[in-house]
Amino acid sequence: MSDPVLELDGVESGYGDVQVLNGLDIRLEADEIVCLVGPNGAGKSTALKTAFGLLEPWSGSVRLRGEEIGGTPPEDVVRLGVGFVPQTENVFGSLTIAENLKIGGVSRDGGVGARVEELYERFPLLREKRTAKARTLSGGQRQVLAFARALMTDPDVLLIDEPSAGLAPNTAQEVFEDVAAVNDLGTAILMVEQNARQGLAISDRGYVLDQGRVAYHDDAAELMDDPEVAELYLGG
Amino acid sequence: MSATLQYLVNGLVYSGVIVLASIGLSLVYSIRGFANFAHGDTMTVGAYAALLAFSGTSALLVGGGNATAGGGLAGLLGGPAAFVVALAVGMVVAAIVAIASERLVYSKLDTSAVGLLIASIGVAFVMRAIVQILFGNIQQAYALPRSGPLPGFGALGVAVTARDVVVVVATIALVAALHVLLQYTSLGRQMRATSDNRDLARASGIRTNRIVDATWAIGAGLAGAGGVFLGLSLRLQPLMGFNLLLVVFAAVILGGIGSVYGAMIGGLVIGVIHELVPALSTYGVPINAQYANTVAFLIMVAILLLRPRGIMGEAV
Ligand SMILES: Nc1ncnc2c1ncn2[C@@H]1O[C@H](COP(=O)(O)OP(=O)(O)OP(=O)(O)O)[C@@H](O)[C@H]1O
Ligand SMILES: [Mg+2]
Repeated sequence: MSDPVLELDGVESGYGDVQVLNGLDIRLEADEIVCLVGPNGAGKSTALKTAFGLLEPWSGSVRLRGEEIGGTPPEDVVRLGVGFVPQTENVFGSLTIAENLKIGGVSRDGGVGARVEELYERFPLLREKRTAKARTLSGGQRQVLAFARALMTDPDVLLIDEPSAGLAPNTAQEVFEDVAAVNDLGTAILMVEQNARQGLAISDRGYVLDQGRVAYHDDAAELMDDPEVAELYLGG
Repeated sequence: MSATLQYLVNGLVYSGVIVLASIGLSLVYSIRGFANFAHGDTMTVGAYAALLAFSGTSALLVGGGNATAGGGLAGLLGGPAAFVVALAVGMVVAAIVAIASERLVYSKLDTSAVGLLIASIGVAFVMRAIVQILFGNIQQAYALPRSGPLPGFGALGVAVTARDVVVVVATIALVAALHVLLQYTSLGRQMRATSDNRDLARASGIRTNRIVDATWAIGAGLAGAGGVFLGLSLRLQPLMGFNLLLVVFAAVILGGIGSVYGAMIGGLVIGVIHELVPALSTYGVPINAQYANTVAFLIMVAILLLRPRGIMGEAV
């Protein structure tokens, strides 16, 4: 195994007095897509928020390319080459599509115009709707915008929380294809997904989280074939 | 008719002050999430800082003495030019005081919006006390000549002074500048994004602490300008800003708290209604200026019954 680009090592964290992560170990290598699955409340979103600096780890460490980043604020984590697409409220509803993208690029040196243009090429829908307020977009369009906003920095590592939530199956499939395409261009992806089978299908490896810990981890294909995992976590 | 027109003119001048104050209150609310009860006293601080700067500047420019009543270059330097400098100083000092209160007080408190609101009442007392200690409780005025009504407006049957024109034109200019800043600059975009969703703003790389500072500076700077204009059209006294605060809240809530454009509209509406109340007596409604606040608030409540979130809802 090569050195991981992102590593969570014995991470504990939570909200106020409530502990959610109970010693979480996750690693992501530079060319991988890794999928986190698990029941509601398992701590999947909390894991991404802690990795990204929105929450400070209570103990354990978060390392990016071997350097400790636990507790580094998100606005600095972005500048280290990490992007984040939250599970909910992941676009600026009162801003236009073009403005959402420009905001995604505030940490870039120099202008954002060329990068916005590249993303318009990749997602023509966004160009078409560029002057519309983001709140007018449909669920699937919003997910594309949220994804594109996070890509404005051209991150090395992208954390995505439930990209297919609330989408019709074929729209979800398109989002997964976009995720795989971004990975092909060299971005490592750590993705949380409720549609565990669809998520694992595009992933290299998977982790099953339960009660703030890793219950299982394996190659994605093995996880899907494991009868116990299937029975307990993938809905049979 | 011309009496009504006159009240309307007065209303526009009063609205200018209310609009400038309302924008700042709403802007700070939208990004910082609490109703700042020190906002009225921020206006007062701006007005008094300008008073100090005005006497200093006119003395400096015309080499001492009070030459403001004179004509010619000395009159210009001692009067309008010094006033522009004083206005700028008033806005900057108000901005600095607001940032200092954020740094020294609000950012240190790990509390709810209500806790911050109460803290801001404390900050307001401190600001007022300092003004009272430095300047006393007497009324003061900018030592500018008070010209009579401008001749051009006489034909319309209304009395408009140069001061009225300055307040209205400067308000329009400041509001326009804010609009350009918010809509067409990177700072404005980042302010709107931070107000929309602070966590997502941080996740996008925005240094939201700086945006909060900029918001305080802009909001308080506009309040400072409002205070200066209030002092210009009436007089300065230590309670001037605080006394206006309830009306400013009415305007902000009417416009939709957190919405800058709502604050502009709310400020205009409340300001004009406030000054139009006495005009009702010319139409046989026996009510006088004493009840202006009451009527303005009743109208605010009536509009809120129709639109509970204010005229502009929640959006900035
Ligand atoms: N902001 C918060 N404040 C307090 N508790 C929270 C907060 N967010 C989440 N929690 C709690 O933390 C636990 C883990 O939540 P988390 O969002 O990480 O779960 P998840 O695995 O992402 O679940 P889901 O599949 O529903 O998204 C839950 O019990 C949740 O109620
Ligand atoms: Mg979640």
